[in-house]
Amino acid sequence: MQEPSIPDIIQLIPLKSYLILSTALFVIGILGVLIRRNAIVIFMSVELMLNSVNLLLIAFSSYKSDPSAQVFVFFIMAVAAAEVAVGLAIIVMIYRNTRTIDIGFLNKLKG
Amino acid sequence: MYPIILLSFLGIVVLFLGFAKSKAILLPATLLFLAVALVGNFVEWNQGTIIYFYNMLAVNNLTLAFNGIVLVSAFMIVAMTRGFQDDDEAQPAEYYAIMLFSLVGAFMMIGFENLIMLFLGLEILSVAMYVLTGSDKRNLRSNEAALKYFLMGAFATGILLFGIALLYGATGSFTLTGIQAYIGQGNPSYLLYGGLLLVLIGMLFKVSAAPFHFWTPDVYEGAPTIFTAFMATIVKTAGFAALFRLLSHSFTGIYDYWWITLAVITVLTLLVGNIIAVYQDSFKRMLAYSSISHAGYLLIALTAMTPQTENSILFYSMAYSVATICAFGVLIPLAREKAMTGKPRETYEAFNGLARNNPLLAFVLTVSMLSLAGIPLTAGFWGKFFVFGSAAERGIIWLLVVAILMSAVGIYYYFRVIMAAYMKEGDTAEIRVAPFYKIVLVTATIITLLFGIAPGLFTGLV
Amino acid sequence: MLTDFGIILLFIIAGFALLGVVLGVGRLLRPDNPNPEKNSTYESGEDPVGNANVQFNVRFYVVALIFVLFEVELVFLFPWAVVFGREDLIAQTEGRWGWFALAEMTVFVGILALGLAYAWAKGYLDWVKPKPHVSQFDSPVPSELYEQLNERYAGKAGKGMEEKSNQLP
Repeated sequence: MQEPSIPDIIQLIPLKSYLILSTALFVIGILGVLIRRNAIVIFMSVELMLNSVNLLLIAFSSYKSDPSAQVFVFFIMAVAAAEVAVGLAIIVMIYRNTRTIDIGFLNKLKG
Repeated sequence: MYPIILLSFLGIVVLFLGFAKSKAILLPATLLFLAVALVGNFVEWNQGTIIYFYNMLAVNNLTLAFNGIVLVSAFMIVAMTRGFQDDDEAQPAEYYAIMLFSLVGAFMMIGFENLIMLFLGLEILSVAMYVLTGSDKRNLRSNEAALKYFLMGAFATGILLFGIALLYGATGSFTLTGIQAYIGQGNPSYLLYGGLLLVLIGMLFKVSAAPFHFWTPDVYEGAPTIFTAFMATIVKTAGFAALFRLLSHSFTGIYDYWWITLAVITVLTLLVGNIIAVYQDSFKRMLAYSSISHAGYLLIALTAMTPQTENSILFYSMAYSVATICAFGVLIPLAREKAMTGKPRETYEAFNGLARNNPLLAFVLTVSMLSLAGIPLTAGFWGKFFVFGSAAERGIIWLLVVAILMSAVGIYYYFRVIMAAYMKEGDTAEIRVAPFYKIVLVTATIITLLFGIAPGLFTGLV
Repeated sequence: MLTDFGIILLFIIAGFALLGVVLGVGRLLRPDNPNPEKNSTYESGEDPVGNANVQFNVRFYVVALIFVLFEVELVFLFPWAVVFGREDLIAQTEGRWGWFALAEMTVFVGILALGLAYAWAKGYLDWVKPKPHVSQFDSPVPSELYEQLNERYAGKAGKGMEEKSNQLP
């Protein structure tokens, strides 16, 4: 018996389920960004959004038998890492100055 | 394509030049590198459309002209950064290197042919901007601006990416031509509409159109002024070039679907930008709202999407960038000299009596404000003229009416600065400006006036 | 008929159910008389000191940031490795394919190495040792006596002292 390939395994689940799951993850990420006040948690929510996109791209990629989306996923991962580095650096910088990462304390700039 | 490779490499060179004993070499070296990139950019002028890297990047006269605007703006801004040498806290090698790298991102956005390139370019530009915004490490305002910009920017990136994923799901392709071909088949899937909407939201976040503008004033105010100038000009130019490329190359087939959405956003942007700008006390914050309102004018051209749109966006970006650089260029020495208790002073009162203290700065400021307001004989007038012309050609009259009313509102807050400079009495503290700095400001003013008197010189080029 | 994922779902449900049963039975059977001693955090017999959320030294963050960057760039090596060794492509191009792919990856890794060299030259990779706290106390005892004392007990006390100085912030 031949081992099923990874695209075959991914296609065991209908495309619509992937779409619903990643949309749900994406919406959870958006709600996290909008509701939470801790900078690190907001940051994690953004990462959740990016990873829901990765999931969706991979699902589309195996359904369309087209590898270009997988390449895109690699780029998203690499860029997300760069963003993590810069974001954490900013958060550490703020923590050094204020001893807090609650964005509610950041109100020096008012409109 | 050459400036991308050149600046990636030269950016690393600048980074390592930072280990040299003297910091004085950095500024001339960076200016030289920018000039080299400018030359490299125009090597490919008038060679038609060239496609690079298996449909990843395209080069034609339009993208080269946008690259040129970005490079010249960057050149002027870098030329105004003499202050880094005397500042012990500043790390000029890193700043210059990051600026050069961010230009690479801008070029990728301007010439993208594949959505991967759009995403990469946008991220290279944005991540560089997050760092520069927070570069004043001890200043809480700068910290806060960096965090806000970062969180909002990353959020917008997430939305953009989800949109791109949906577009891919509908069309099976990341290339502009692939998407266009899919739309050409007719009867597009609902995923396409959702994807387009999310991509538009993500991009409009980055160019700060209302209702996605709320980060802009805070970030512009908190960032060090020189980097605010960088953000206000280069990010906006690259963002609109990318938006134009996306909409004009791929989505003209479903114009009826998106134009009304974009028109509503345009009206909102114009109203929010101009009306809130009236109530500002800080000049820097006023410029932030003014940049939102100029995003609105540029959106008019996008909404109309006539054959003239590319020229009007190009001219408007040029006029807006040059005038904005002048405005920030005047603010920097002024805020430094009139600093109170160590904090730069950026309110309108700082401009009181400027005409008596330093007539040159006052003149530069006047021309840049007139250009931003769109008064005839400045480049800004023709920018608005072309933009309104494209809307009139498409026949969207109600949009035009709103835009003209809002320009009238704009005149009020731009003239407030001129009034402060010429009519009001202020302290007579002398404002020292380095000779090199003066040359940059005067050149920018001459550009504004030259293209204001003879816009054909610029539009004839492309 | 259960699918593979159905079995996994069943497994998860069974896991949670078992957990609930065990905890419930324990709750019913065990005697319940807490005291402060029992409620305190278990620290191998020591009294717990301070909060668990203590701040890590900032050095860790810097190293972590550099690590994150270089670690994820590795992701590009995997797809490259797949096409690098394709024998049909190498045969078609008479061996040029391998060299071309190798040169491209060398450029990529070279740029990363430049970044690492930059971080190194800037001193971000140096593990800054905490400076020992020198007391300004003017002692009537001559310093040679202290040194003799230190030498005599160096073997016994040295190790403990070093550990202590590492804990300083």
